[in-house]
Amino acid sequence: MTSWATMPSLAAAAASPTMASWSNLALYSAMTVYTIAMLLFAGYLAALGPAAAHEVASAEGSTGAEVKELVAVGAAGGADAAAGRPTSTAGRATAGGADEASPRARKLAGSALSMTWLATALLAVSVILRGLAVMRAPWGNMFEFANAGALAAAVAYLVLARRNRWQWLGIFVVGPVLLTLGLALLAFYTEAAELMPALKSVWLVIHVIVAILAVGLFTVAFALGVVYLLKARQEARAAAGAAGKRTFLDTLPGSASLERAAYGLNMIGFILWTFTLVAGAIWAQKAWGSYWTWDPKEVWTFVVWVVYAAYMHARATAGWEPRKAMWIAIAGFVSIIINFAVVNVFFVGQHSYSGL
Amino acid sequence: MTTTEVTQPRLGPVGWARWAWRNLTSMRTALFLLLLLSVGAVPGSIFPQRSIDPGRVADYLAANPTSGRWLDRLGFFDVYSSVWFSAIYLLLVISLIGCIIPRTRLHWHALRSLPPRAPARLERLAAHETAEYAGPPGEVLEAARAWLRSKRYRVHSHDETSVSAESGYLRETGNLVFHVAMCIVIVGVAAGHVFGWRGDVIVTEGQTFASVFPQYDTFRAGTGVDANALPPFTIKLDRLDVKFERVAGGAQFGAPRGFTAYTTTTERPGADAREQIVTVNEPITLGGADVFLLGNGYAPVVTVTDAAGAVLYKGATPFLAQDNFYTSVGAIKVPSASPKQLGFSGFFLPTAEPTYANGPRSTFPDLDNPEIAVSVWEGNLFPGGRPQSVYTLNTAELTEVPRADGKPLAIRLKPGQSYELPGGRGTISFDGVARFAGFSVRTDPGKGLTLIAALLTLGGLVASLIVRRRRVFVRVTEGSTTLVTVGGLAKNADPGLAGFVAELTAALTDRPASAAPAARTETDVT
Repeated sequence: MTSWATMPSLAAAAASPTMASWSNLALYSAMTVYTIAMLLFAGYLAALGPAAAHEVASAEGSTGAEVKELVAVGAAGGADAAAGRPTSTAGRATAGGADEASPRARKLAGSALSMTWLATALLAVSVILRGLAVMRAPWGNMFEFANAGALAAAVAYLVLARRNRWQWLGIFVVGPVLLTLGLALLAFYTEAAELMPALKSVWLVIHVIVAILAVGLFTVAFALGVVYLLKARQEARAAAGAAGKRTFLDTLPGSASLERAAYGLNMIGFILWTFTLVAGAIWAQKAWGSYWTWDPKEVWTFVVWVVYAAYMHARATAGWEPRKAMWIAIAGFVSIIINFAVVNVFFVGQHSYSGL
Repeated sequence: MTTTEVTQPRLGPVGWARWAWRNLTSMRTALFLLLLLSVGAVPGSIFPQRSIDPGRVADYLAANPTSGRWLDRLGFFDVYSSVWFSAIYLLLVISLIGCIIPRTRLHWHALRSLPPRAPARLERLAAHETAEYAGPPGEVLEAARAWLRSKRYRVHSHDETSVSAESGYLRETGNLVFHVAMCIVIVGVAAGHVFGWRGDVIVTEGQTFASVFPQYDTFRAGTGVDANALPPFTIKLDRLDVKFERVAGGAQFGAPRGFTAYTTTTERPGADAREQIVTVNEPITLGGADVFLLGNGYAPVVTVTDAAGAVLYKGATPFLAQDNFYTSVGAIKVPSASPKQLGFSGFFLPTAEPTYANGPRSTFPDLDNPEIAVSVWEGNLFPGGRPQSVYTLNTAELTEVPRADGKPLAIRLKPGQSYELPGGRGTISFDGVARFAGFSVRTDPGKGLTLIAALLTLGGLVASLIVRRRRVFVRVTEGSTTLVTVGGLAKNADPGLAGFVAELTAALTDRPASAAPAARTETDVT
């Protein structure tokens, strides 16, 4: 029996509480600014409604079907503009629809986007400070993963909003981001600390960062999907001649272009998720000795993957209504939420990294 | 179908088979099966699974005898090997194969065929451009061929005035690779199940483990494994270093931070010994098997002597941790005691909470205040000679030994202390604590194949989603200048197609003509 009295201490890597408290301060600030941004986005959407009504009123005598056509043409113009080749027919309806808005709405959208940039920068600072506090990748528990995932979603949105003028999407992304951050602080908060041994691996960086990016893209795609479903319903009603009260929906690109945009993001998310799955299996082989054991987390990662695979197939199937396919994508996103918020907390498995 | 109505078409067995095959291999069915697969996988995350933790299944069955029995019959504790789950994925695989074969045939033909003849009216295509060029038509066509080839298009001219080009065959190739690789993943997983094995063993500091079948605490192997022909390596645990969280509070306090096993290994008995370190995330390979450090705990070293002082038992006995602070339970069995066999059952506490207000409990996983707390039993340790757990006493034929005054006896010892058992039964002394490592030895001959297939699915997926299948046609019409019409066609949504066509048109017409047939007109090229 070798001596059990002399236990050499392993290299200590204590977390820095000061840095962690700064990180939290940045997080609170980010949440405050996100709240302002969300209110501004809400104001923007509200301001879009009357503007649209005004525009339609000026084009007197147009039926619902014609309105739909106009919007659809606008959408086609948007797609062409993205390809760097605006066509003359689509000249007056613009890509994001924002230019149809009143100056007041435009101003609101501008401030909302600026606030979102600021909040996202604060969130990035918070995540980086957390990383410095613990001297490792800052996504080792649920609290950290939630913040990093929210950051990925916000950055994905901001980059896409800049390219496609998606100001109208803001509230649908900033809302969930804010909700995630609030939940992270209230329900998942974990003191800055070292990781447990199974997480100390280069795969924490590879596997989790790709998962975070995938979740970020899926979030924006989910927001687009919801807007698409709203828009498609509105178009269907307009086509049936039941023109209701004008809302911001009337100023959005046509549903077909929304659907394409959501598909594009879901597609990239799906590729990244496939990578997450494969990288996770490789890590599991190293850490637990088996690349697949049907651990609850593995099961739900698999479920998410299969549901999004079903979405990709549904979309590729002729005769499947795009709206039905989009519902499958939304089910996929719900599975992601379950995979994070339910599986980590309530199910017993090897992925016990929640820190709760 | 047994109806005799004349209007109903009658299908023979071949007809039915064809009908079933066509339905099974339809996209609709595949989609349905995919959704079914996702739903079918869920119960395995909710209910405990025998393949992961048989103990929790037993607990569940004990707690819910009625519903548990039915759930068990329906396979809810072995979801991933259940009939219904297997049925879903096997049908999915059949459907997949039924889809792959015809598509492979089609793609094979497409790969070997030339791009189709240019349509008569290119302006009707989704993307098109018209421009004029001052040079001769042949020059335009030659430039078009060169430009499209440089963009890796397959190029062919069916006549003197046009060029047809096609690219993006990789999209369908990727699609097929993805789906074929999915099937190979399943083959790899199956190979692992048939030819793989795993054994778990607890090794105490100072002990040597020899890898032969009976030495493993638990052993599971596929049907293609000869359990008597395992690689005969040995592994001696010299020391196990551990580290637990002392700084952070809340649920993190006491959380594991590092485990390092220092070992001396040999590939086979008598071979050169090597010092190797096994840590979490860093297994070692011995005799083709991977050795993982997956568990750890404490083995109190206890000596039991009889009344005359002769040693009846001496050794480190592993106790199994029950909670995050390593409150551990175990049993010490002394069959050589006489007249009756002796057994000790109870707790090992690495950091004992001294009051025992809530029973024996540890408050930290490291050895800050180690203590054992055991009760004493005597009688027949092994009733019926049946195999039993080494961590518990089977008390069927044992009686608890009380204190001399008749009250229940609970012995609490710190390292170095001993206790004289009542009634001249001898002495138990707690000499110290050794750590143990839980090693898991595994081989999976299918894992390489599964990995390659998984990477192929990833590559195939990227190709099938990112690559664009496009057909581009160029037609020239001779006049005072050469009229160049370019048309493009995409199989799927392709926002970049119009830009590509414009780029090609510009490349063909915005260059100086080497031999102008006529002076270039001032026509505005748009």
